[in-house]
Amino acid sequence: MTSLPKNHLSEMETTCETLLHELQVIWDEIGESDPEKDKMLLELERECLEVYRRRVDQSNKRRAQLRQAIADSEAELAAICSAMGERPVHISQSNQNAGGLREELKAIAPQLEEMKKRKAERWGQFLEIIEQIKKISVEIGHSDYNSSDIALDQSDLSMRKLEELTMRLQALQKEKSERLKQVFDYLKSLSMLCEVLGLDYKETVSGVHPSLDENEGSKCISDDTIVRLECAIDSLRKVKIQRMQKLQDLATTMLELWNLMDTPIEEQQLFQNVTCKLAASEHEITEPNTLSEDYISYVEAEVLRLEQLKASKMKDLVLKKKTELEEHRRRAHIIGEVGCETEFPIEAIEAGAIDPSLVLEQIEAQIAIVKEEAFSRKDILERIEKWLAACEEESWLEEYNKDENRYNAGRGAHLTLKRAEKARNLISKIPAMVDNLEAKVTTWENERGTDFAYDGVRLLTMLEEYTILRQEKEQERKRQRDQKKLQGQLMAEQEALYGSKPSPSKPLNGKKTPKNTGVPNRRLSLGGAMNQHSKTDIAHSNRAIRAAKKADEMGTLSPVSRGLDIAGLTVRKLSFNATSNNTSRESEVLRKPFSQVKPGNQLAPTTPVSKPLASIPADIEEENRPPKTVPIIASKTPIAAPSPSPMQVACTPAPVALKFEEENIKLSPEVEFSFEERRLALYLSR
Amino acid sequence: MSAAPVPLGSGGKELSKPPTDGISNLRFSNHSDHLLVSSWDKTVRLYDANANVLKGEFLHGGPVLDCCFHDDSSGFSACADNTVRRYVFGSGKEDILGRHDAPVRCVEYSYAAGQVITGSWDKTLKCWDVRGASGPEHTLVGTYPQPERVYSLSLVGNKLVVATAGRHINVYDLRNMSQPEQRRESSLKYQTRCVRCYPNGTGFALSSVEGRVAMEFFDMSETAQTKKYAFKCHRKTENGRDIVYPVNAMAFHPIYGTFATGGCDGYVNVWDGINKKRLYQYSKYPTSISALSFSRDGRLLAVASSYTFEEGDILHEPDAIFIRSVNEVEVKPKPKTVPAPS
Repeated sequence: MTSLPKNHLSEMETTCETLLHELQVIWDEIGESDPEKDKMLLELERECLEVYRRRVDQSNKRRAQLRQAIADSEAELAAICSAMGERPVHISQSNQNAGGLREELKAIAPQLEEMKKRKAERWGQFLEIIEQIKKISVEIGHSDYNSSDIALDQSDLSMRKLEELTMRLQALQKEKSERLKQVFDYLKSLSMLCEVLGLDYKETVSGVHPSLDENEGSKCISDDTIVRLECAIDSLRKVKIQRMQKLQDLATTMLELWNLMDTPIEEQQLFQNVTCKLAASEHEITEPNTLSEDYISYVEAEVLRLEQLKASKMKDLVLKKKTELEEHRRRAHIIGEVGCETEFPIEAIEAGAIDPSLVLEQIEAQIAIVKEEAFSRKDILERIEKWLAACEEESWLEEYNKDENRYNAGRGAHLTLKRAEKARNLISKIPAMVDNLEAKVTTWENERGTDFAYDGVRLLTMLEEYTILRQEKEQERKRQRDQKKLQGQLMAEQEALYGSKPSPSKPLNGKKTPKNTGVPNRRLSLGGAMNQHSKTDIAHSNRAIRAAKKADEMGTLSPVSRGLDIAGLTVRKLSFNATSNNTSRESEVLRKPFSQVKPGNQLAPTTPVSKPLASIPADIEEENRPPKTVPIIASKTPIAAPSPSPMQVACTPAPVALKFEEENIKLSPEVEFSFEERRLALYLSR
Repeated sequence: MSAAPVPLGSGGKELSKPPTDGISNLRFSNHSDHLLVSSWDKTVRLYDANANVLKGEFLHGGPVLDCCFHDDSSGFSACADNTVRRYVFGSGKEDILGRHDAPVRCVEYSYAAGQVITGSWDKTLKCWDVRGASGPEHTLVGTYPQPERVYSLSLVGNKLVVATAGRHINVYDLRNMSQPEQRRESSLKYQTRCVRCYPNGTGFALSSVEGRVAMEFFDMSETAQTKKYAFKCHRKTENGRDIVYPVNAMAFHPIYGTFATGGCDGYVNVWDGINKKRLYQYSKYPTSISALSFSRDGRLLAVASSYTFEEGDILHEPDAIFIRSVNEVEVKPKPKTVPAPS
């Protein structure tokens, strides 16, 4: 470079000199004055200088530009390096380098280029990572990871930052996978719940988030979705628990009903899977459809069916149990405390007034009591059986002994003879039997503090009765013997007188011993026994009937006969005063206490019915029933138990005095008013 | 009459704050021991019989002739101002179900039909549906003319027995009210005071003003009808005169099916209708027995001792309600001592 411009300069110098020379010549020729010449030369020189100066300026400017470019490049390089976190190695070197500025620039340029390339690459990496982070963030739904946070900041592109971001990305990826797993878990449990509850899984899931029910493809894993999933699971679980409890309730009821009605196993098998879940907890129920609405309503329907069956069966059951109770009682010869209809009223059950199961329970309790009692009575009952059997034999023997032809040889006579012999043997044991029984019963009664009743009659009474009857019979027999003896004497006398024997005849005394002397009618009360032989009593009471009848007739007279002494006397007699005094007992005998209203039911009264007085108003005359049907008859079996007094069922005619204004109901039957109506009339008039 | 054991001592616990005029009826609730009492002092009162507490008073436009429970918290009343009302005890709210043309004598509520049945002196029976609470024109189910003024009603299951003046008895089936199932004449010769159905639903008892009670059966077959009978009660012989008292009230024991009668003689008798026995006679109450009610379990018997105006406007004992705890012996049927030989 140096050589070339020198040549140029020398050439230029030469040309300048020649040109000057030429100019001198020209000027000389022109004859320019010297000052002019000088002036011209000076101008020339100045122009030259001007040109130089311009050149220098230009070069100078150029140098400065170069320097600037280098500095810029270096600065850029340094900036990139610092951004990339790398040390700028070459800058100081280039300063000492004397290769000229252009060289220097040239040297820096590739470095810069290189760095720029690297930076761009790095930036690409950053962008990629940030892009991913953003994507995941959006998926997760973190609001804090929005783009402003990771601004496109190019000042820091160091590896550290990159690593940082990568870690962040990894963390996010991990979170995402965790969330995915969670979502899948939830979906799984959701699907199980749906299965158990019989719900449509797809529908449920798409209700939570539409992306969830697609088999492939990304699932939404945002917080919101997870929360909603949780909610869905929670609510389904609640539904499940609710249904499970319902099902278990139903199962319990079902078991009770099965138990109650002895439902066959085959029928139970159908619902085995229900009842086996009776004690299961919520998570143990996993079988599909066990808690679906259809299934529950199916079970419900079954329970309802059983319930209805129960309602219809309950009556049968109660009846069955009742018969069972009756049977137990019958066997133990205990009289039910109540007529059974009222004890356990079937009709009330039908009407729904009483819970049948309650009645059933009561009956069962009763059965238990009766059983227990029967057990305690067993020993005594066996003895009673024996005694009764013996009594039966006794009565048979009695009859047999009366048979005049008993020794006539006939078919089977030897058997009866044998039986009679056996019976005699047995009868001889009866007193001991009775004593034994009495002792047993007494201890039993003392132990339990109650009377030992046999078919409602106290056994001791029966035994006493039997003893009395036996004694009576004994006396009777004795009397008969005496009579026979007397007859024998009479016959002997007659024989002595007339010399002939009278034909064998029956004893003059035609009195027949009561048939049941042998077997004491166990239902016969003491009073009955007393009444049995009392012929006179009956005659007596007949008279009493007549009197009573009359009294009743008098009663019909109502106000007219009020105060009549005779009526009063007899009416009082009619009162059911079961005192020990004889008259009143008699009068009690008059009335058959339980006589039905039906006319045909009564024994015909022997006394004629006197016609009522003509003065009686017609409506009083005929009372509830015509007087003919008035059931006033001598009762053969007066009431034995003194405690509950019988109702005055007998339909005596009109009362003697009414405790209210008679005209109201009698004299003007058309304008009959109740007390309340009259009271209201008075109330309103006040 | 003295054959039955006559207990000594009081007639039971007397309720405080009794009505100030005649007690027309009282009833125990089917759910508790609450007692509803209607009275001539225009008031229906609600008592807790156990606690002896007056729980509510409901004033009416006229004397209240009958009342009954709806459920434990509400009830119906039959008023002499021709009106049938429903009361909610808790709030004291009053609904008018409707009106008759004359004083309403009796009211019953049928759980089976969900209807209120009222009988009135206007010679009609009316059924009201309380479930359709949409105004009076919808509440009235039907009006059924009766031969005479209605004096007493009783319900069992779907059977309704109506006793009217003139000794008419009509038996209805609630499911078909268009006409009576049976039309009968009372077998008693005198005015009917009270009719009550047997709890087992087989028949009913009638009582008359002339000291007599008839036991009747629904079944019209001959075998069933032979079982019916009548008996005398609430009578007294004094100085040679028979004094006969009206039988105002009857109440069946819900468990044993025995029943109590109350008369103007102030006595309450307990009877066993099956065995035809008088089981018990309680000691005399101060004045006429106007109403009786057993509690739902039959452990309590409410007795209204209140002059029933049989002798007109005279001086009389104050009105009182006695709550008697019932001993089993008093109401349990006794077996027949002479059963029919089998």
